[in-house]
Amino acid sequence: MTPRPVPPRAAERVLAACIADPEWRDAIAGDLREEFAGLNRTRGPREARRWYWRQALAIAGHAVGARLRRGRRPERAWIAPPEQEHRQRWGAGMLKDLGHAARTLLRRPATSAVIVLTLAVALATNSTSVALLDAIVVRPFRFPGVDRVVMVVSSDPQQGLLDRESVSAADFAEWRRETRTLQHLSAAQWWDANLSAIDQPEQVAGHKVTAGFFEALGADPILGRTFTREEEVPGAHRRVVLGHALWTRLFAGDPGIIGRTVRVDGEPFDVVGIAPPGFAIPLGNQIWAPIAYTPDEWADRRGRYLITVARLQDDATLADARAELGAIAERQRREYPDTNAKLPNAVVTFTDGMQDAGAGAFLSLMTGASLLLLVIASANIANLLLARGTERTQEFALRLALGGGRTRLVRQLLLEAGLLAGLATFVAMPLAMAGIGLTRASIPPAIVRFIPGWEYLRLSPELFAVTALLAAAAMALFALVPALQTVRPEIADTLRTGARTTTAGRSRHWLRATLSVAQVAISLALLSASGLMLASVDRAMNGALGFDRDNLLVARVVLPDGPYEQAERRRQFISGVLDRLRSIPAVNDAAMVSNIPYGGNNSSRPFRPEGEVLRESDVRNVDYRRVTPEYATTLRIPLLAGRALTSADRLDSPAVAHVSRSLADRYWPGSDPLGRQFRLAADGPPITVVGVVGDVLHDWFQQRRAPTVYRPLAQDAPYSHHYVARVVGSPLALAGDLRRAVQAMDADLPVIGLQSMEELMEERTTGLNTIAGMLTVVAGMAFGLAMMGLYSLMAFLVSRRTQELGVRMALGATAWQVVRLATGQGLKITAVGIACGALAAIGLGRVMESVLFGIVASSVWQVAGLAGLVAIVALVASYLPARRTASLDPTVALRRE
Amino acid sequence: MKTTYLGEFEYAVLLAVLQIESAYAVPVRALIEVRTGRSVARGALYTALERLEAKGLLRSRMGDPTDDRGGKPRRYFTVTPAGLRAIKATHGAFAKLTQGLETLLERP
Repeated sequence: MTPRPVPPRAAERVLAACIADPEWRDAIAGDLREEFAGLNRTRGPREARRWYWRQALAIAGHAVGARLRRGRRPERAWIAPPEQEHRQRWGAGMLKDLGHAARTLLRRPATSAVIVLTLAVALATNSTSVALLDAIVVRPFRFPGVDRVVMVVSSDPQQGLLDRESVSAADFAEWRRETRTLQHLSAAQWWDANLSAIDQPEQVAGHKVTAGFFEALGADPILGRTFTREEEVPGAHRRVVLGHALWTRLFAGDPGIIGRTVRVDGEPFDVVGIAPPGFAIPLGNQIWAPIAYTPDEWADRRGRYLITVARLQDDATLADARAELGAIAERQRREYPDTNAKLPNAVVTFTDGMQDAGAGAFLSLMTGASLLLLVIASANIANLLLARGTERTQEFALRLALGGGRTRLVRQLLLEAGLLAGLATFVAMPLAMAGIGLTRASIPPAIVRFIPGWEYLRLSPELFAVTALLAAAAMALFALVPALQTVRPEIADTLRTGARTTTAGRSRHWLRATLSVAQVAISLALLSASGLMLASVDRAMNGALGFDRDNLLVARVVLPDGPYEQAERRRQFISGVLDRLRSIPAVNDAAMVSNIPYGGNNSSRPFRPEGEVLRESDVRNVDYRRVTPEYATTLRIPLLAGRALTSADRLDSPAVAHVSRSLADRYWPGSDPLGRQFRLAADGPPITVVGVVGDVLHDWFQQRRAPTVYRPLAQDAPYSHHYVARVVGSPLALAGDLRRAVQAMDADLPVIGLQSMEELMEERTTGLNTIAGMLTVVAGMAFGLAMMGLYSLMAFLVSRRTQELGVRMALGATAWQVVRLATGQGLKITAVGIACGALAAIGLGRVMESVLFGIVASSVWQVAGLAGLVAIVALVASYLPARRTASLDPTVALRRE
Repeated sequence: MKTTYLGEFEYAVLLAVLQIESAYAVPVRALIEVRTGRSVARGALYTALERLEAKGLLRSRMGDPTDDRGGKPRRYFTVTPAGLRAIKATHGAFAKLTQGLETLLERP
């Protein structure tokens, strides 16, 4: 007998794929085969095959066309599978499924509660960090038209820090004259206003501004007026606009204040206006006065300390403004090569420009960590659902065998997940509120002032929407994957073997293991990141500061430049205060320094060592301090070489200085710095090094000790300066004495930031502390969740193998062998997870190092230590279930379901 | 009871199924082609059979698988009482319309 002719397989497949109904599929294929056999005999195999292709495609086309026309599959009349009962009424089926989903969830209340709580905690964490990010980074300012307000800066935002106080008066004046794309281009200059209107003088955050400042920001005064161009000249400038908060606090909201006079910096200023409520730009500002420059000052291109704000002209875009200002800056570079040759120029939005440089990075880190927590939570839940899905494989197989549609099953699973996600969203909201409340409470009001947008930190409808969106995304992650996995298995196989004896499908195993590996890896990376943050906080607070922070009282005084223009008057004032301080018995030492460590401000000078010819671009700035001779002893900064500064270093004696050890190491490595000379200005006098002192950490974000020059007060007297007093007992007990000492010298001068050094440091590191704390909480939760996930996975895997292990034990396997066998999988998962996690942690550490400006220093040892911790916990998590199984009687194990 | 009238092709298919003992798609198609002289697309035939079955005018049963069909069974069709009523109704309608036209229509 000749072999039966076979029609083209591919054509048969195409045909089969297009016909949904299996009986029709068979009948049609059979018919075609029958005719194909006949054609094969009469017209030859070639012709027959060609014919078969034509027919198969034609029939397939018909079938697909018919199905499309009807919009659903062909129905079989004599079997009415359950899914078809409600075909016509989709909504009714939906309701029924929803009920079914709810019943399914209620049947396992513990698992469902764990899932809802896990997800809710992760969602709440995300909501909190998203709320922070939104309030502080994305939309810190919400006045009308804020997106059309821009800042022009002479710094390069691409180069890390955006320096908004970077514009010179002359550049600004030229821009203001020439710009066609900006309106109300105005400038502002930092002003520590000493307001002595009422009983006690106080320092108020102030800025001197040009005309147009309020207009650019769209702020109409609620009383009076703003400033005019005519007031930008000395003489006409003694006007102030008061902030609404200041006005209500000091003058009880008295409208009669307009036209009255207040004393600021010892001079009378007329109050001309009151700013609208809530307006405190920039940075909690509460008093504004006109910038009053002489023509010489307006022509200055060297002093670059102005902030600029402007509003885009109605027909101009940000790109237009960038092009125009870019062209002007380019011309200025050619015209003024001395000062502007390398000066960058950028137009940035107001929101970007006012951004605290670190905040974005910190909060992005925080948000990233929260998202990772959500991923871990989702993976955990996916594992739980997968485990449950395995138990339900038979249920699903049965439903499929009875004609239930796969789409219906997937819908069912999605509905269950949707219910869980919805519940979790509602549980997450109060948690998020608590989280936001805690965050708000963790930052003291003194700092909040410097965080634009803090007042917007709250739970909003948008945030709720974001949370719901995240929940939906998480749901897609944790529900869809197991759902597809569950519905995939071949019905017959599943029904035949039963889910009990096999250890579920290979692919599902693989999926669960991958999820667990990811959890271990992510939690290790997060732990390491929070460890880095904690280490930096610890270093900032307790690290080698270079000075002794205990029992120090600090305070700041700013001498106004009018009455204290003469350096001699400033010296007299400072010496007078210090004499009074030292006469207090509880004060051991007292000194003055221009910029105290952790004081939040700094000053620097270009450093030119004598005997070296440096190009202008190679000159580096070093930190610059003016001190009284007792400064080093008061702070207990060690004198490493040379002599102390003394009262013999006078204005008419040779210019001398102390330098820090890091400065000596940088400029005179390996040689004696004593007697060396340097200049702090190209045309300045040579200054001789008479001593080397220990390095001091000036601020918490400093990793390396900044090279520093200390100059005696007698040779350079500052306006703004700090007093430090080393006292016996509690520093704050002497606060009143310090205040009196200052006021005895000048009753108009307020004492600013009177507190202990410890308080000052804590205040300065609050932000870092808060973020580190939050990150630690997140990482801790991630770790807990990951370990929970690993434990439940191990328990599940071992329970699936109970029978097999029972057989082994019955055949003589020892308990130890059983434990080893059962933990093997956990070990593999942990090992892979730790390997991936360690790589991620090291990578994350590097990223943090570069993004956070060297605040953190990543350490391989720390990662190794944490990996060890994770390994131990993971081992315990996999050992416990294995141990339990091994301790079972083999006969019991064999019978275990 | 609602009377079903048939489209031309459905009418032809139902008649062919009536004509053939144990009718399935292959002979049904062959019969229509031979008697009407018009070629019939297989896809159209299957769609029509399925549709007629869904309307309750045809009933089908699966036969036994045979070797010459690659192990696939035949799907046999029989006309249901409803199908027969539809055929009669359609035939009657045409018959009434052709009354008095016999000489014209039957002239060669």
